[in-house]
Amino acid sequence: MAQKRAPLEYNRMWQIRAWLFAVFFFLYAPLVALIAFSFNDSKRTTVWRGFTLRYYEKLFGNESLLTAFANSLTIAFVATLISLVIGALAAVLLWRYRFMGRTVVEGAFTLPLVVPEICMGVAMLLFFTRVLPWPNNLIWPFNLGSIIIAHVSFCFPFVALVVGARLASFNKEQEEAARDLGANDWQAFRDVLLPHIHPALIAGGLLAFTLSLDDFVITFFTSGPDTVTFPVKVYSMLRFSVTPEVNAASTMLILLTIVLMVVMMAMQSRAQKKTKG
Amino acid sequence: MTGHAKALRTSRRSILKGLGAAAIGISLTGTKRSAWAAEEPKLNFYNWDTYIGETTLEDFTEASGIDVNMSLFATNDELFAKLRAGNPGYDVIVPGSEFVERMIQADLLEPLDHAKIPNIKNISPEFMTDAPFDPGRKYSLPYTWLVIGVGYRKSKVKEVPNSWKWLFNSDAYAGRIAVMSDASELFRNCFKYLGQSLNDASPELLKQAEEMLTKQKPNIKAFHEDNGQDLLLSGEVDVVMEYNGDIAQIMKEDDDIDFVVPQEGAMRQQDTLAIPKGAPHPENALKFINFIFEPETGKGITETILYPSPNAAAVALMPEAYRDNKVIFPPADVMAKCEYPNYLGPEFSRLLDEAMTRLRAS
Amino acid sequence: MATRTQERRLAFLATALPPIVWVVVFFLAPLAIVWAYSFGQNVSLTEVDISGTFANYARALEPLYLGIFAKSIFVAGITTLLCLIVGFPVALAIVFASERWRPWMLMLIMLPFWTNLLIRTYALIAVLRTEGYANFTLEWLWNQGSWLMTLVGLQPLGEFTPLQMLYNNFAVVVGLVYVHLPFMVLPLYAALDRLDKSLIEASLDLGAGQLRTLYSIVVPLALPGIISGIIITFVPALGAYLTPDLLGGPDSQMIANVIERQFKRANDWPFGAALSFLLMYATFGAIAMRAYFSRGKPADGHGI
Repeated sequence: MAQKRAPLEYNRMWQIRAWLFAVFFFLYAPLVALIAFSFNDSKRTTVWRGFTLRYYEKLFGNESLLTAFANSLTIAFVATLISLVIGALAAVLLWRYRFMGRTVVEGAFTLPLVVPEICMGVAMLLFFTRVLPWPNNLIWPFNLGSIIIAHVSFCFPFVALVVGARLASFNKEQEEAARDLGANDWQAFRDVLLPHIHPALIAGGLLAFTLSLDDFVITFFTSGPDTVTFPVKVYSMLRFSVTPEVNAASTMLILLTIVLMVVMMAMQSRAQKKTKG
Repeated sequence: MTGHAKALRTSRRSILKGLGAAAIGISLTGTKRSAWAAEEPKLNFYNWDTYIGETTLEDFTEASGIDVNMSLFATNDELFAKLRAGNPGYDVIVPGSEFVERMIQADLLEPLDHAKIPNIKNISPEFMTDAPFDPGRKYSLPYTWLVIGVGYRKSKVKEVPNSWKWLFNSDAYAGRIAVMSDASELFRNCFKYLGQSLNDASPELLKQAEEMLTKQKPNIKAFHEDNGQDLLLSGEVDVVMEYNGDIAQIMKEDDDIDFVVPQEGAMRQQDTLAIPKGAPHPENALKFINFIFEPETGKGITETILYPSPNAAAVALMPEAYRDNKVIFPPADVMAKCEYPNYLGPEFSRLLDEAMTRLRAS
Repeated sequence: MATRTQERRLAFLATALPPIVWVVVFFLAPLAIVWAYSFGQNVSLTEVDISGTFANYARALEPLYLGIFAKSIFVAGITTLLCLIVGFPVALAIVFASERWRPWMLMLIMLPFWTNLLIRTYALIAVLRTEGYANFTLEWLWNQGSWLMTLVGLQPLGEFTPLQMLYNNFAVVVGLVYVHLPFMVLPLYAALDRLDKSLIEASLDLGAGQLRTLYSIVVPLALPGIISGIIITFVPALGAYLTPDLLGGPDSQMIANVIERQFKRANDWPFGAALSFLLMYATFGAIAMRAYFSRGKPADGHGI
């Protein structure tokens, strides 16, 4: 008799496996093409002409592209961190407390999701030139401040939403029990809530990082002469078409991301081992 | 002392610190702008991507000691939208001729002191006199010029498509046509096809053009945003409405491609150099502009971007293949029928945009 | 020594102030400026006079623009639905994967999305275009099929005509799904992860089939996550403009493209503001309605 598969082992079902495979293929096929074309011996990325490494050489010599890279990464990191804090606080606020004007606050937190990007970009432009002028001569990284602020504004609702969904399934009684046992609010938060929303923070943080890294419209309107980011640089190449140099840059970005994630996961598993052991 | 009050004390201190830092920052910015101080050797250049020679910026830094920081924009609209609320710190910008007129009207440009740009003598004289968008070239100087026409794949067309008819009013190339998605460029070249001037701001003419294009729409494969040359090169389309410089660039990679300016005439433009109001380094900007018009510099730029150059001295230094290239320098008789677009006012711009929205929605 | 209530208040303020202050200063204030613009008109090329006029809204409600709104909602809706269908099994697979595999799978889902949107879109173009990889593969398969037919003695298949997979609405939907998939998978994962697996086991033990279990147990429990996923996918899809711009055909215009043109080419910021806010009111209304209807229901099955 064939061995009965355990009921919850969905991943053994061939349908699920086939589905996963198809989805990953769909996601990665264009990327493989992208990486392949970074070795294309032609100024265009649409027709293959031969193998070359010269675009990688060009990339490492292209200071402005590398600076734009660095700017994008910095902005994404800082904006993600701030978004996590503000987003988590927003989610906890709405979940835990009942107060006057609660629906209005909830609405205000959801609004950034709904605003068309270009509208927000123009709003930020007007704000930072007319209402709160951001000085132009700050040294790095403070000159990225206006961009970071704008990014946090549209990223944190995503974090709040993901954390909120997670909190919705949390049993309040656990937290109240902790408090009855003598913990104060901060301890209850740190030792009971935080571990629970941990996966949501990771998911939300990833989402925020992605959004920030890729943002073009809002960044365009809030950036100045010294603060070019990677998407802005790439988008401005549109007029003369995307050269393989940009593909090379993206390949490097992907590699960098993989390295970062591996490091992060190694650190996380070590931390988990410590708590378990 | 309760935790509450302690928190307040520390926050007050940090506010004062912050204010102090801001004050220093503001005062520093103040001194930078004061008249007696020499400009720091820096220049913020806002340009299109790869729209400069390979070594131009380094050459300038070597010659003058001024460090150039080039940032990029992708369309004239973005440039205008960004500068509209106030100059975030750019010294030299590269607006298209139609936008120069808008910016002059909106008082966004500094007048250029020609006395400080002796290399103006290198510019072909007709560019200094024939500039309806900036009479007397008070605010802008020509960087490159371009003309819109039809790029095509020689092996796929029955005859040279030297009329707008093939793009706007015929199904000979159904499904293999790409036109520009910009309302002004598309509709106003239609005006040329309909036998009128592209500066004719009459709503009836616009309506006629819109109807014609709506009828033609099933034959159009794509409305491209300045990447028409890619569509042609990759074989998506066989005839495309594009700038001569873009087509000249891909002709280097594919012999089967050619370009022609339609006999009815077309829209011609210039990309110009200008100094926006509020530029932090205006003197450096003038020096930079003067440098661009050196013959050697012009040559370096033109070799890279292959657009027609208004710098006569630079053109003289270019190889014959460039000067005789009919794509880069279309024949004079058809250029005579080409016009510069004037800014036709906000009301007509609104009509143009609505016509485009209707066309796309139909 | 702080009293309990004082400490509670402090905790409340510490939780409430940062997000609220941030939203007010760095979001609502800038937005208010643009909102004011929607009631204004252009007096010159750069100045807007806020005259309290409703003309912009009146224009935005014309059938031309309403039609575009409707079309955008339709396209975004299809995209969201597809993302849900495609993404749900993926999220399920990740949740039930072993501890070792799970982070890798999450990373694999996220990785494409850390690539720049423009570049990814160009890569998609390379796949979908007439002489792109998809057609290339299809042509090869077609020719193999043809060859097989001749082997068997039948007539070979005719000439292969490449599929037009680009510059049409199909490409726009594919592109949008491609971009928005992780926005669906991540919230689903976060919600499914919390699921009490013993409930599923119980259901299966009691004789319900896989699909029934899915339908009656998993989906209701994961509903908050599904709804967040739907919102996070639908709203940005509605506001997408790069994807329809680059991948779309002559009639693939979405509302965000029109809005973008107002702020740029047409230089009509008041009208652009009016269109944007109309879009926002509508979307916001939909979200508010869902919040209103889901009030009072227990959020999880633990209330049993």
